[in-house]
Amino acid sequence: MKKMWLIGLNTFKESIRKKTLYIILIFALIVIGASKLFSFLTAEEELKMIKDVSFSAIEFFGALIAIFGALYAISGEIERRTIYTLVTKPIRRSDIVIGKFFGVSMIIFVNFILATIFFLGLLIFKKSPPDVEVLKTLLLIFFELILIGSITLALGTFTSDAFNIICSFFLYIVGHLTSYGKELIERAENIIVKGLADMLYTLVPNYENFNIRDKIVVGLNVSWGYVGYTILYGILYMCIALFIALYFFEKREI
Amino acid sequence: MAIIETKQLTKHYILGKKKIVVGLEKVDLEVEQGEIFGILGPNGSGKTTCLKLLLGILFPTSGEARIMGKFPDDIEMKQHVGFLPENPYYYDYLTGPELLQFYASLFSLDAGTTKKRIEQLLELVELKDAKRLTLRHYSKGMLERIGLAASLINDPEILILDEPTTGLDPIGCRDTRNLLLKLKQQGKTILLSSHFLSEVERVCDRIAIFHRGYLLATGTLDGLNRQYQAENLEDLFVKTICTFDNQASVKTGETT
Repeated sequence: MKKMWLIGLNTFKESIRKKTLYIILIFALIVIGASKLFSFLTAEEELKMIKDVSFSAIEFFGALIAIFGALYAISGEIERRTIYTLVTKPIRRSDIVIGKFFGVSMIIFVNFILATIFFLGLLIFKKSPPDVEVLKTLLLIFFELILIGSITLALGTFTSDAFNIICSFFLYIVGHLTSYGKELIERAENIIVKGLADMLYTLVPNYENFNIRDKIVVGLNVSWGYVGYTILYGILYMCIALFIALYFFEKREI
Repeated sequence: MAIIETKQLTKHYILGKKKIVVGLEKVDLEVEQGEIFGILGPNGSGKTTCLKLLLGILFPTSGEARIMGKFPDDIEMKQHVGFLPENPYYYDYLTGPELLQFYASLFSLDAGTTKKRIEQLLELVELKDAKRLTLRHYSKGMLERIGLAASLINDPEILILDEPTTGLDPIGCRDTRNLLLKLKQQGKTILLSSHFLSEVERVCDRIAIFHRGYLLATGTLDGLNRQYQAENLEDLFVKTICTFDNQASVKTGETT
């Protein structure tokens, strides 16, 4: 357990010293800050706009941080060959994968917290302290980001950096379009298109499940039951991604 | 008793449809405790493949590799092994002491021992003055030296070095050579690969010559020179490789 933690900490330290993730975070903060520019709207509309833009920025830039953070974690180590110095140490390959997952989760968590603090500060400044619905939205975004990170991590155990990044973004986009995919399955007449859409719908995690911001922004409530179910759904996919990562990394020649 | 051994160790790489490249072919190797054993061979001869198979970085197609009687995935065995990869790449955002600290923690060394070892090793590889420099600012020679220090952080019984003098200047090469001899005096077993014949000649007790994945010859330098009627290591190296290539071309000629 201690060695997994050390691997995770090292992964986190690497992300802190690399400037890429800082730049993404700064962009996120700029976008959140820019949502305040809509002051020509009514106070209520402006608040909606701040929430909508901020949730989207935290989710989108968080996804970038999750993908790039996880990309550096395993496939990056393999490409840079620093992995040789890890697998030859008295540490199991499975511990390396779990440690890397801890590290990526830490990267996501810290960046998410910084962006969230900035957003909540903005709400408080606007004299609209965050309610529980805002917190539910943020909680689901956080779990979505962890899931995105674990999928990129898993892909990194059997693909190159370039292929990994393409796949991760493809899954991120498709994962947000699954509701259209369902429609496509229902309407498709061609059996191949139907089969392909069906397969994608089944395999790709539905990231839209984590998106409740449209409801929250317009003042609707989402039950804790739904939040809990979606978190369990995310954890299930995360476990699948980690099993895939463990399986492939155990067998991978470096 | 052999502390490192391979039995019929074979590695084939499959490239495309039905094309198989021999990385290593049925290699039997034994390295005795306390000796410096050199693996020699031209580029692509299978030296690095052999080391990677011993360390569990690659998996054999057939045959087996053992260190201290244990298979390469054994965690307990790795506690006693130090490894320096060829052209070492390290976490370039760390400083030298931070890198050594990280590796020491993976060997579960206590804080006191770690601090002492880091000081000693930085002194040994003459990087004490570069303590605050991150590795991205290191020269190739400095990287090689911090790599050597990293491979010694656990005070290993067995040291596996892949081309340890690549990138070092003549003084660095001499220092590494002296260090290896000093480590041998301390009872450590050293397995190194190199294509610098003069280095190998000066430090190794026994050598093995690899070519195209095959082990062509193994033994003491004097013994092999007598066997192949060679004047020195260079002569021996050329003779074994040319003989193999000639035999291979004759075989190919016979079959075509």
